Amino acid sequence: MRIEELNQESEMLNPGHNACPGCGAALAVRYLTRALGPNLAIVLTASCWSIIAGMPPLTALKCPILHCPFPSAGSVGSGVRRGLNAKGQHDTTVVVLAGDGGTFDIGLQALSGAAQRNEDYLFVCYDNEAYMNTGMQTSSATPFGARTNTAPYPLFKEGQKKDIMQIMAAHGIPYAATATVAFPEDMEKKLKKAQEIRGFRFMHILSPCPPGWGTDSSDTIHLSRLAVNTGFFPLYEIVNGVSWKMTCQPEGKRTPLKEYLQNQRRFKQMEDIRIEALQEEVDHDWEALLEKIEATKCSD
Amino acid sequence: MLPDITTQKPVYAYGTESSAVNKTGEWRFLTPERVPGLSPCRQGCLLDGEVPAWLEAVKREQWEEAWQIMSRNNPFPALTGYTCFHPCTENCNRSELDSGIDIPSVEKAIGLWRLDQYKPGRHRDLLKDEIAVIGSGPAGLSCAYYLNRAGYRVTVYEKSDQIGGMLTLGIPEYRLPRSILNKELNLLKEEGVEFVTGCEIGQDLSLDDLYEKYSEVFLAPGAWKSRKAGIPGEESRGVWNALDFLSEFNSGRQPEVTDPVIVIGGGNAAIDSARSALRMNGINHVTLVYRRSRAEMPAYQPEVEAAENEGVELIFNALPGKIETVDGKISGAEFNYSKTNRQGLAVDKTSSFHKSCGTLIMALGQEQDSSIFSSLEKDVSFYAGGDLVTGPATVSEAIRAGRIAAEAMIARLENLPEPELCLPLEDPVSFEDLYLEASVNLDIKDQQEMPEKEASRCLGCGTCNSCGICYLFCPDMAIDIVDGRYELNMDYCKGCGICYRECPSRALVLKGGK
Amino acid sequence: MAYELMSGSQAAAVAVQRVGVDLVAAYPITPQTAIVETLANFEGRGELGGEFVSVESEYAALACSYGAAAAGARVFTATASHGLAYMHEMIHWCSGARVPIVMVNVNRTIGAPWSLDPDQGDSLSQRDTGWMQIYCSGAQEVLDTVMQAFLLSEELLLPCMVVFDGFYISHTYEAVDVPDLEKARAFIGPPTFAAQVQPEKPANIHALITGDMQADLVRSRHKTMLRAPAVFKEINQRFAETFGRSYGVIDSVMPPGTKRVIFAAGATAETVRWTLPELEETGMVQLRMFRPFPREDICNLFEAHDIEQVVVVDRNCSTGMGGILAQELQAAIYGMEKPPAVKDLILAGGIDLTPDMLIRAMTETASVDKVEQKWGVDLR
Repeated sequence: MRIEELNQESEMLNPGHNACPGCGAALAVRYLTRALGPNLAIVLTASCWSIIAGMPPLTALKCPILHCPFPSAGSVGSGVRRGLNAKGQHDTTVVVLAGDGGTFDIGLQALSGAAQRNEDYLFVCYDNEAYMNTGMQTSSATPFGARTNTAPYPLFKEGQKKDIMQIMAAHGIPYAATATVAFPEDMEKKLKKAQEIRGFRFMHILSPCPPGWGTDSSDTIHLSRLAVNTGFFPLYEIVNGVSWKMTCQPEGKRTPLKEYLQNQRRFKQMEDIRIEALQEEVDHDWEALLEKIEATKCSD
Repeated sequence: MLPDITTQKPVYAYGTESSAVNKTGEWRFLTPERVPGLSPCRQGCLLDGEVPAWLEAVKREQWEEAWQIMSRNNPFPALTGYTCFHPCTENCNRSELDSGIDIPSVEKAIGLWRLDQYKPGRHRDLLKDEIAVIGSGPAGLSCAYYLNRAGYRVTVYEKSDQIGGMLTLGIPEYRLPRSILNKELNLLKEEGVEFVTGCEIGQDLSLDDLYEKYSEVFLAPGAWKSRKAGIPGEESRGVWNALDFLSEFNSGRQPEVTDPVIVIGGGNAAIDSARSALRMNGINHVTLVYRRSRAEMPAYQPEVEAAENEGVELIFNALPGKIETVDGKISGAEFNYSKTNRQGLAVDKTSSFHKSCGTLIMALGQEQDSSIFSSLEKDVSFYAGGDLVTGPATVSEAIRAGRIAAEAMIARLENLPEPELCLPLEDPVSFEDLYLEASVNLDIKDQQEMPEKEASRCLGCGTCNSCGICYLFCPDMAIDIVDGRYELNMDYCKGCGICYRECPSRALVLKGGK
Repeated sequence: MAYELMSGSQAAAVAVQRVGVDLVAAYPITPQTAIVETLANFEGRGELGGEFVSVESEYAALACSYGAAAAGARVFTATASHGLAYMHEMIHWCSGARVPIVMVNVNRTIGAPWSLDPDQGDSLSQRDTGWMQIYCSGAQEVLDTVMQAFLLSEELLLPCMVVFDGFYISHTYEAVDVPDLEKARAFIGPPTFAAQVQPEKPANIHALITGDMQADLVRSRHKTMLRAPAVFKEINQRFAETFGRSYGVIDSVMPPGTKRVIFAAGATAETVRWTLPELEETGMVQLRMFRPFPREDICNLFEAHDIEQVVVVDRNCSTGMGGILAQELQAAIYGMEKPPAVKDLILAGGIDLTPDMLIRAMTETASVDKVEQKWGVDLR
């Protein structure tokens, strides 16, 4: 992708949508729809985007959006794909769009069922790491140590962030990848690659949320970049559940996690001992990822 | 059979109208705005040129736009591309990354485009005033260009039989190709400027005469009086002053020069003389002697290096004490060593060396000749610019002077407020100020052949250079692409500040309010 | 007529195969498993006409059906009891979404504690979700009703539940006249309802709306459903012309001199029919279409015969209120000039109704004065 090649005609996101200023999810869906459109149908479950999609008679996207209940994303997507096929519309790309809640928690069963059946669509989880639409409550995607409105200071999120990519890998799906908004070229490449593959595909997109994370609305891209550069959110892909590959790696040493945490109010009163614990966890996961990548390197 | 219910519209919630009716710009309490900071190239430019702006236009291949921006401050980019010493390039922030932008090459490209493709036609308006310009050097030509563009009827008076001043007579072909210069001069004529050659003001015509006939007069006769060394033998045959030598050489006439050649001086005229002499038939050895050190040479260092590479011998901290002649023609000179000290220059008369030569060229600088004013009897205030005012300086500075004078004259004639002269006093945007995390236009490393590609390496440094990062990262679709430029759409901008934060050039500020 | 011996569940599956669906997404649960297995068999033999997919839960089954229906496909699923309860959110969603879906629910008690016996409480407790509901009392009826349900649902764009008792109907065998495949396919025709998901006409479908807009939609849904009896009658007219059988939204047997009516739905209605000759001055009404509740048909019938008393057989109990059919009937006859007295015979938990029990119940409830609840447990 070259910026000068971008043109407004290919954009599928309408202006005037009501996402918060600086919303990472708005940007993620902008990139997603632009890369995969225009013959695109989106299945959308309860999440911030349910609201960003707009209130009828308005719509924020230039493709059909089918809303569905919270736990049902994976299943409704299966139905839409099969229904479109029955109607002869095999060329329409089906994307199931869910937040972290609708993927990691209440939506996990449907995700797992669909993945196991190798349903032929792309499941995109845009992850703002909590139930942001309902006011920033903890989800299993919330990072360790963060404060939320259901874990307010002196409480904090106790478990580690659920490793959804490993779960997807365990299902042996053809393609799973992480992406984030500060690396649009990387994201677009993965989306287009996913579009060409048949079977169940999964994308995990880190989408910073200024009100939920307690950051300035202008910091969205900066934080997204830091998340990658600290190794907190590595950019990689998994093919067929067995072959790992890093797609975008920070040059030189990883930035210390503290730099990522310090500008977010949700980590503001994080005790040093917990910052260290999280740093260790990130370091450990990073090493494990590198090992997997090394071990599954293809000769081609 | 009951009526076909399937044709009746089902009643469920759906929306097909674009959310664009919702003007989210109402949400803002901070507004991004492009407020240009001072780019270091601009800071260095002798012409007040808006360098990043015309680079950006070239990047978008908008040559006419680039020319419009360029010609606001510099009507002769083809000429300055060759002759200017380009302090802009020395300041370029990109040199801290891979290599600085080759600004001269893009400047030349614009100039050549202008010469080959852009024919605006004559501007001369019979209803507008007539103005006289004295001197057809860069200052005069520039003043003439701007006045003519505004419709005024300009006549340029030139003492010699060729127009161009230093451009023609002072600067050699290898520095400024004749074909380019001639094209430029002819274009001026085509656009309506009239030239009278072989007419010296103060001799053939008086200033008073001019003030009778013309509404305004711009004096730019330059500084042509060559300084003398004041040593015996200076009037001998074979001793040239640099200006005369260069005039002869540049006119195509072969000045009488014998090998070996010694050039005295450390300025650009000295280097020009040395390099020109070396190009002449029969000249194999040229020595340049300067009374101070290399670092103190006023000449443009790349020129000095070029001279050295071409084989010119450089001797520093020496000056001629005596010229030796045989039959009235120079045969050599005696030199003493010198040293810069607190009092100025100390000459060691005790140490000396001898060098023989066939030709000696004195390049000790020029002085203004104020005799032009002696012919003025009326009590008038006048416009003047170029070397006449500053003493020997550069082509670029002269062009600037001509433009400023033209703007002032136009303001006076049309009763407009006087134009502002200075750039605001602020620190230029440094390399550390830039935000290069997004790494977008950094993938093209090192200088490129194609001007569009080279121009695309410019980082903007305080001005928008249409890199598109703001467009890329805007979550609210509040940036429109208009002719390759990225316009902020205030109907939808929520003031999140991402564009401000991510702009590599630091061209945006966030202001309070809507 | 081509008669085959089959169970109620098999009849439902055969009906689906006769209709020709695009997708069956299903999850097994006793006593519905034979339906999904029979359909899987059809798919295995290439006779289903569409896809069969085993999903990971009942919720997923209905969610998948919703997605496919929104894309314009004809879908079918089946469940019972806990499965139906699990789907509850989706059941609401589908009717609000105005997608045609046919779902069979085989009645079974919802725990705790575990129980497999039939209780209509599972489907009846979904009565407020905006689905049409039709109750069947035998395998033939099941087959015919499932076929008709597709037409009904696709014409009104409201989902339709076809309900029958677990074990009594699902697992007992009858001789069923199976319609000829081509004739059936021709009768039903391909799905022609408009898809909601159309990439050429992008829309933001079933998104958040205001209370005002919602009120309009609810009213529209309600009014549409009230057209169901008329549409159903028209379908049955055509069904009779093609296949020789037809059904009403209620079916009644009113011998001359009828003063009392026994009101039942499902398998118990069959028992009532059998027992009727042994009862005096008694007629019966089999309630088939439960949603929309056929208020007009029932009131007209009661008025025409000047009915004094109705005994409602309720194979369910809404704890704290009583039998659901009795409540519904009481609400329906409110406003009649001379509304009959309503007695409620509650058979909750799936206990069998024998003719003997019925006769005793009718004797014990003969007095007209009081509205009375009678428990089947007391009659055993």
